[in-house]
Amino acid sequence: MNRKFQAKLEDLAVDLYAGGELPEELEEELEAGAFNDPELCHDMVTLRQTVEALRRSEDVAYTEESHQRILMRIYAEGFDIRPKRPTPNYLQFHLPICG
Amino acid sequence: MQDSLRESQTEKRWLTALSEGDVSAMGGLFELYGERIFRYTYRMLRNRTDAEDATAETFLRVLKRSGELRADGAFRTWLFRIARNLCIDKMRQHRLIELPPDAVTSGAEDRTALKVAVQQALAELPLEYKEPLVLCDLEDMPAREAAEVLNISVPALKSRLYRGRRALRSKLGGVVEKSDEP
Repeated sequence: MNRKFQAKLEDLAVDLYAGGELPEELEEELEAGAFNDPELCHDMVTLRQTVEALRRSEDVAYTEESHQRILMRIYAEGFDIRPKRPTPNYLQFHLPICG
Repeated sequence: MQDSLRESQTEKRWLTALSEGDVSAMGGLFELYGERIFRYTYRMLRNRTDAEDATAETFLRVLKRSGELRADGAFRTWLFRIARNLCIDKMRQHRLIELPPDAVTSGAEDRTALKVAVQQALAELPLEYKEPLVLCDLEDMPAREAAEVLNISVPALKSRLYRGRRALRSKLGGVVEKSDEP
């Protein structure tokens, strides 16, 4: 096996390690192998940290206002899709109380 | 497991009703997927108004083509594909008229600097890297399904995903490492 191919396999192992896709025993073996290889160790650690940071990074807020605005756009095209969730009071127009 | 089985049975019921002309069945499908499609479009476009538009348009397209629906399990992939195409169209428009994305820091004082840095770096990645990261790492979509949404093979998806993660690391520089320091 030539060095170039071996390096590619090592990169793939690091990619799988970073995404948590390696079986446990292979993960342990790779970690043991990286113990005396600072370059490999750095590659593994930083890539895994990147993936973890990405997975933790998202906090897209799906607000009630967005939900209602999307429905309004659909209603405006003439489709009454009747959501199963009622519109909250604060987003409804109140009629004046007479009498 | 139980939840996903229940979800797929519910989806089948709504799809059958919709394909038979019951437009109100879309309410159920919207409850199932509306939020996920909004999150996906927001991650792609980084702009709330555009994401709301793209989400509404995704469901409108389904409604307009409801006669073609089949309850064969491919609905979710199809839905994401429609949303993806709409996002790409919007991104093209943005390139022409330079609409600004929502500022990633606005109204989010509690976000850490790392979160902001990651989102900025993700937004700057080329689309071919950004899409697999959004679908696989943020949407938690299985590789086979993500490949179908992007209309590429699973090996091609994995290759883009792995390159994308490395590109993201390069964009972040040492930010991730520093954030782990005590």
